Order: sequence, then structure tokens, then C-alpha cells
Amino acid sequence: MTPFRSTPDGYVARWEAVECHVLARVARDVAELVRAESGLGPDVEVGEGVAFTGVGLVPHDPAVQRLLPDAHRDDPDVAADFRHLTQTDLAAAKVARLEAFADALDPEGDAHDDGELDEQAWAGGAQILVPRDEAQAFAGALTDVRIVLAERLGLEDDAAVELLHDEVIAGVAGEESDDADEPDDADGTGDAEDADDVTDGEQRRYWGGVFVAAGFAQESLVDEMLADLRAQRG
Amino acid sequence: MLSTLADAGTATEEETRTDVQTDHVPGLADPWVTIVWNDPVNLMTYVSYVFESYFGYPPAKAKKLMLQVHHEGRAVVSSGPRERMEVDVQAMQGYGLWATLQQSGRGAGAPGAEGGAE
Repeated sequence: MTPFRSTPDGYVARWEAVECHVLARVARDVAELVRAESGLGPDVEVGEGVAFTGVGLVPHDPAVQRLLPDAHRDDPDVAADFRHLTQTDLAAAKVARLEAFADALDPEGDAHDDGELDEQAWAGGAQILVPRDEAQAFAGALTDVRIVLAERLGLEDDAAVELLHDEVIAGVAGEESDDADEPDDADGTGDAEDADDVTDGEQRRYWGGVFVAAGFAQESLVDEMLADLRAQRG
Repeated sequence: MLSTLADAGTATEEETRTDVQTDHVPGLADPWVTIVWNDPVNLMTYVSYVFESYFGYPPAKAKKLMLQVHHEGRAVVSSGPRERMEVDVQAMQGYGLWATLQQSGRGAGAPGAEGGAE
């Protein structure tokens, strides 16, 4: 994964095939989770210009509670009013941008199926081009993905995030002598099948790596967006 | 940490005076405020981007608010009528920031006030 760079067409980075696939799959999973937890059915269109009122469900999943939090800490009536007014719109907007993010990384929908990816089509990874008018949604989708991963990884404070970063960086440093993307998977194709067998430590390392990669992508993208914003405003 | 808070508070006062003509300054005269809470996930650069792009705050002011969120656990980022704050909270939650609204005049802007320890 290379950092995003500003170009005349938008923000450009190069991601490896496995990075595109894993992040696309996670984004689609998060979109489904948000739909289910907020009461947006799988058949509900979430495109631009679709307006909603009312609230289907109050989320129970702690990660979705963080994405759609109570808007008042002490007054349940204010929080309920706010949820009634905004939740379905907020959830639909998040789902739409998560799905757009996944489609940008994986236009053919390869990552819908576990495993099976067209090795030839994906050789050398993919250039990710984020047009300027889509950059905010792309960065927002990365935020939502990172928030859900952080909840699943039990990252409750800054120290926990820093510790995970250190672990992941140390792991990456140890892998550099080895060409394989997946250190525990010698042929590089069977990772999906092995997913059920990994221990908690391996799960943490794997999803921790995804969390850190998503953060790296977001930080480099937002740095460029911020530079462009400031340049525009003089 | 406390000395940092005091410094940031002084600096914010100064900034407030210079910003009066160009943008709305959160204050106790307004009945409601939007609060952004610290979380371990959102990147400092992203929070700055949100404050600059959504509120139109200048970089120095956005950075001060971002650091206030980071160090104090929260910051009042806008104030006004309830309906206006609902729009701001919805926008902040849309960006993925952890935002709430509350009535001001209940210590909303003061460190260590109600709810601040959570």
C-alpha cells in the first residue's frame, strides 16, 4: 500500500490485491451490520436523494452504537428525538458510502466470495483513484470501518491503539525477509479456509493489520485533502 | 495535562476575539452546544479536517479544538439554537466523530463539569 498522493484527477494510491479484497469485504460486512442494526432492510435503496424519517431499530451492537450514538448523555428524550429524526438518514448515508468504497476497491465484486480471486487480473495490485468530490465519503467509510474494527479488537483508549500499532509494525518488520503476503499461509491462497483455525493472537494480528492499514490509507488521504482545502481557501 | 489545558484555554480566548467577524463563536449566551468527545480511533488530522471543512474554522482554531478533544476528552465545537445543533451533531456523527448536544449554561464548556469524567 502506497500513501495517497494528490494528482489532477484526484487522490491516487496503489494497493495490493489482498488489501483491496480484505478492505472491500470488511466494508461490505460493516454496511450489512449497519443495515441490520438500524432497521434498514437489505432491499432498501440508499442512493442520493432518498429521504427517510422515523427509526427502525435502536442499535444493540456496541460498534453500531458508536457509529449511531445517543446524541444526549443525560436526557433520553432528547436522544430519542434525535434518533427519530436522523438515524435512518445517517445509517443510509453510511451504508451508501461503505458500499461505494467497496465497489471502488473491488469493481468486479470478487471479494463477495471467500477466496477465489482472479490472480492474473489482480497481478501487481490496483491503482486506487479517489476523485476529489468522492474523497470525503471515502475517508468517512474508512472511519466507519476503523471504528467497527477497533470495537472488535477491544481498543478502548489511545494506549491500546498505540500498543496495537507497535505490535503490527513489529510483525510487518519481521515479515520483510519473506515474500508472502500471509506469513502463516505458505501458498498465499488458502487464507480464507484457514480463518476458522486461527488463534486469538493470530486474529488480533490479522485484524490489527487491517486496522493499521486502513489508518495509514486514511491519514495519507486526509493529509492531501487538508492541504487542498487550505490551498483553496488561501 | 492541566497546564496544557490552561494554555489552550487562554489561547482560545484570544482566538475568539479575532474570529468574531468571520464566524460564529460558541458561547454561553446560546442555549445549546455541540460537543465532540475523544475516541481512540479518529486521527488528529481527520478531526482537524472535519472542523476546517464543515465549520469553516481557520486551521489554528480547528487545531486547538482538536487538541482540546484529545487532551481534555471533549470540546464544545459550536453553539446555537437546538435545531441548529441537531444539524451539527448529525453532521459530526456522519463524519464518524462522537458528538452530542446539550443545553449550555450547565458547565458544558468547563473541564471537569458534568459528564466530563466519562
